[in-house]
Amino acid sequence: MLNPLQRRMLRRRLLQAIPVLFLATFSVFMLMKLLPGDVAVVLAGEQATDERIAEIREIYGLNRPLLVQYGDWVLGALQGDLSQSLLSGEEISTTIARVFPNTLFIVAYAIVISIVLGVPLGVLAASRPNTWVDKFVMTFSSVGVALPNFWLAMIFVGAFALNRAWLPATGFVPPQEDFFAAVSHATLPAVALAASGVAEVARQLRSSLVEILQSQHFRTLHAKGLHPRAMLWRHGLRNVSVNLLTVISLLVNRTLAATVVVEAVFAIPGMGTTMVNATLQRDFPVVQGVVLMMVLTVITVNLITDMLYSVLDPRIGQK
Amino acid sequence: MTDRSKTHGPHEQGLLARLPQLRRRQFLAGAAALSALGAAGVPLRAGAAPSGHLRVVANANPSSLDPATGGAGSDHVFLYCFYDTLVDWDFATLAPQPGLAESWEFTDPQTLVFTLRQGVTFHDGTPFDAAAVAFNLQRNRTAELSNIKNDLANVETVEATGEHEVTLKLSAPDTALPLILSDRAGMMVSPAALGNDPEAKVDRAPVGTGPWTFTAWTDGDKVSGAANPDHWREGIPKVESIELQIIPERATALRAAQSGQADIAYQISEQQKVLIEKMPTLELAFGPTLYVYQLYLNASRGPLSDPRIRKAITMAVDREDWVKATQAGVGEPAWMNLPQAHWAWSEEAAKYTQHDLDRARALMKEAGVEGGFELDFRGYTDQASVQRSEVILQQLGKLNITGRFTNGTIAETSSRFFSAEKAGDVLLSAWTGRPDPSLTYSLLYSESSYYNPGRVAPPEGFEAAMADSRATADQAERAAALGRAQALVMDAALTIPLSIRYEVDALSTKVQGYSANLLGKPKFLHVGLG
Repeated sequence: MLNPLQRRMLRRRLLQAIPVLFLATFSVFMLMKLLPGDVAVVLAGEQATDERIAEIREIYGLNRPLLVQYGDWVLGALQGDLSQSLLSGEEISTTIARVFPNTLFIVAYAIVISIVLGVPLGVLAASRPNTWVDKFVMTFSSVGVALPNFWLAMIFVGAFALNRAWLPATGFVPPQEDFFAAVSHATLPAVALAASGVAEVARQLRSSLVEILQSQHFRTLHAKGLHPRAMLWRHGLRNVSVNLLTVISLLVNRTLAATVVVEAVFAIPGMGTTMVNATLQRDFPVVQGVVLMMVLTVITVNLITDMLYSVLDPRIGQK
Repeated sequence: MTDRSKTHGPHEQGLLARLPQLRRRQFLAGAAALSALGAAGVPLRAGAAPSGHLRVVANANPSSLDPATGGAGSDHVFLYCFYDTLVDWDFATLAPQPGLAESWEFTDPQTLVFTLRQGVTFHDGTPFDAAAVAFNLQRNRTAELSNIKNDLANVETVEATGEHEVTLKLSAPDTALPLILSDRAGMMVSPAALGNDPEAKVDRAPVGTGPWTFTAWTDGDKVSGAANPDHWREGIPKVESIELQIIPERATALRAAQSGQADIAYQISEQQKVLIEKMPTLELAFGPTLYVYQLYLNASRGPLSDPRIRKAITMAVDREDWVKATQAGVGEPAWMNLPQAHWAWSEEAAKYTQHDLDRARALMKEAGVEGGFELDFRGYTDQASVQRSEVILQQLGKLNITGRFTNGTIAETSSRFFSAEKAGDVLLSAWTGRPDPSLTYSLLYSESSYYNPGRVAPPEGFEAAMADSRATADQAERAAALGRAQALVMDAALTIPLSIRYEVDALSTKVQGYSANLLGKPKFLHVGLG
C-alpha cells in the first residue's frame, strides 16, 4: 500500500522516535527525582518511624543509584513490563488500559466537534471576507482561543448540569458499557476542550482559504465558469487540506495535554488525573508509564499526519 | 443552625456545648443509631431488608484496603465498609464502645482480656473467633509488611484463651489499647483470605466482617461493595450496595452531590458550608473533628527555647479571629490539642491558651525581646495553607515577631522539619488526631517522639500523668490524668493549637441516618436512602 518513498519515511520516523522516547522518559524520571518529597514517606503512613521509612526504601529499591533505577525501568519497559504502582500495587499496563481509552474518547469527541463546527465556520468566513459574517466568526474565534478551558468547563457545569440537569456534572461511563451514557457524560468536557479547537480550525482555515481564493489559480477557475461552490469545496479545501491537517494534528496533541485540567473538573478517571495524582504522591512508575504512553501517542499522531501529507499532496513524499 | 454553629468558649461546660454541632434531624438519627451500637448487639429495632444504592464521594484513592499495609488517614472511610473493629467508639465523644469484642477487662494492669461476640463470620464464611483475633493482632504487631507495629508496641503476647476469649499480656500498663483497637490495629481480616500467612496481604481484595462485602476497586475511580447479609448488627447495613467514587477535588465532589450524581460528599471545605445550606437539593451535616490546625515549635534553640516567649506567642494568637479568617467561621478555637466535645477535654488546660495580648507583651518584655525577633516559618504550598500563613504572620506581628514562610509539599516540608535536618523554627500544619488522646499527647510531646522536632523534654510531671492515664481503665480517672498532662504542655506552650477543623458534609435529601463523627472519618453503616 505504501510506496518505497513512504516506506523509507516511515522507517526513518520510527528510528527518530527512539531517542525521543528515551529523552522524554529520562527527563521525566529525573524531574520526578528532583522534586522534593519521597514516596517512601507516603508509603510508610502517617505515624512512620525513620526506620520504617528506611526499610521501605530498601524493600522497593528506592535507595539504589538513580541510573540503576532508570535502567531497571527501561529494561522492564522494553520487555513490555511497566512494573506496578508503588502505592496501589496495580500493574501499570492495566492502569493505562483502563484510563487511556477514557481520555482518548474525550479527545476524539473534542476533535470531532472542532472539525464539524470549525470547518463550516472557516469556510463561511472565507467565502464572505470582510463582511459582518466574517467579522462575527473571527471575533467568536478570538474569544474561543482566549477563554481558558477549565473556566469554560466550570461555567458549562453550572449552566447545563447544576441549574438545568440536562447533562451529568461529573463522572465518566466507558462507551463500550453504555454508548449513550458515555456520550452524555463526555459532552460537557468535550465541548469545553473543543472551544479553542473550533476557534483555531475556523481561523486557520479562513486565512488559508482567503489566500487561495485570491490566487491566480482560482482566478482561472472562475474565468472558466466554474460554480463558486465547486471552486470552494472541490478545489479550495483540497488546496488547504495540508494546512488543515497540520492544525488538527497540533490540536490533538494540545487537547491531550489539556485533559489534565478538564479531567479534574469533571472527575474523569483518565490519563490526566492518573498522572497528577501519581505525581503528587511521588508514585514515579505510574508517572513514567503514563508519560511513555502520552509520548507514544504524540509520536503516532505525528507519524500518521506525515503519512497523510503525502496522500493529500503526493509531491511531499517525493521531495 | 446559625446560632448553633457559633463557637463556644471553654467556660461553657453544658452538655449541649460538648455535643458536636449536627443538624437536628441527623443528630437524632445518629443518636438512635448510637444507642443501637451502645446496646452491644441488642438492636433497637430489627431493620427491613437493605435497599438502594448509596453513592459516596471520597477524597482520595485508598493506599491499600488491607488495614495493616495502608498508610493514609483517608483510607479509613473505605476500610470501615469492609471491616469491623474489635472496639467501636461513640460518634459524638469517641468514648470506647463494644464492637467485635462484646466486652474487655484489665484483669491486672498488664493483662487485657477481650470477650468476643459469638456467631460472627467473615465474608468468606469462615468463623470469627479468638484464633482469628490472635492471628490478626500477631500479624499487625510483627509482620514485616505491617505499618502499625508501633500501635501495638506495648503488647508482649497475644493468646486465644478460649474459643471467644483473647488475652493480651502487656509490657507496661496501657489502657489506651481498647481505643487503639478501634483503629487499623483492631480491624479484623479473615485469616483464611490471607492463607493463614501473616506476610500475605489483602490490599486489593479485602475480606472482613464489615457491613459490606467487597466487589470492586478501580484505581482512582471507585471502590464498591454489596450488603453483607450475615452482618451481626441487625438491620445493618441499610443499603444494598455502596459505591465510593474517588474525586480528590472537593469543589468537584460538591458538584457531584449537587447534581444528584452522589448521595454524600464528605470533607467539603469550610468555606463551602454556606453554599450547601443554600442549595435546595442538599442538606448539611457537620460537627467538630479531632483535626487541629496548629503551630509546631522547635523549642530546642533560639528564642523559642524560652518558655516565656512561647507562652507569649500562644497568648498573642486570637483564635476566635483565626477561625473567622481562615475557616469562614466554621470551626472552633483549639484551646488545646482536642476539640471541646471530646471526653478528655480539660477546662484547666484551656486556661493557658486564652487570648491576652497585654500579658503576652509583658512576657516578651520579661524575656528581654519586646522589640521582637525573626523566625524561620515553614508551611505548605496549597492556597488555604498560604492564606493561613498570612493570618498567623499578621497575628504574631503584634509582638513584633516577623519572618518569612518557606513553603513546600506536605511530605517534604514535614520530613525536613521533624527528622534529622530540623529545618525551620515553626511549622504551620495540623494534627490529624488519634482515637485515644494518650497517643496524641505521647506522639506530640514525648522526648523521643518524631513530632517533637526539638526532642525537648516535656515538663516535669507529664510522663507521670501519662502513665497514670494508661494505668486506669476508668474513663473519668483517665480524663483527669490526661487533663493534667495537657495542662502541663499547654502551660509550657510546646505546640500552639489554633483551631479545630469541622467536618462539612453535603447530603442529598434522600439520605437518612447519617451523622458526622468526632474522628472526622465518616462511617456509613447506619445510612439509608429514603
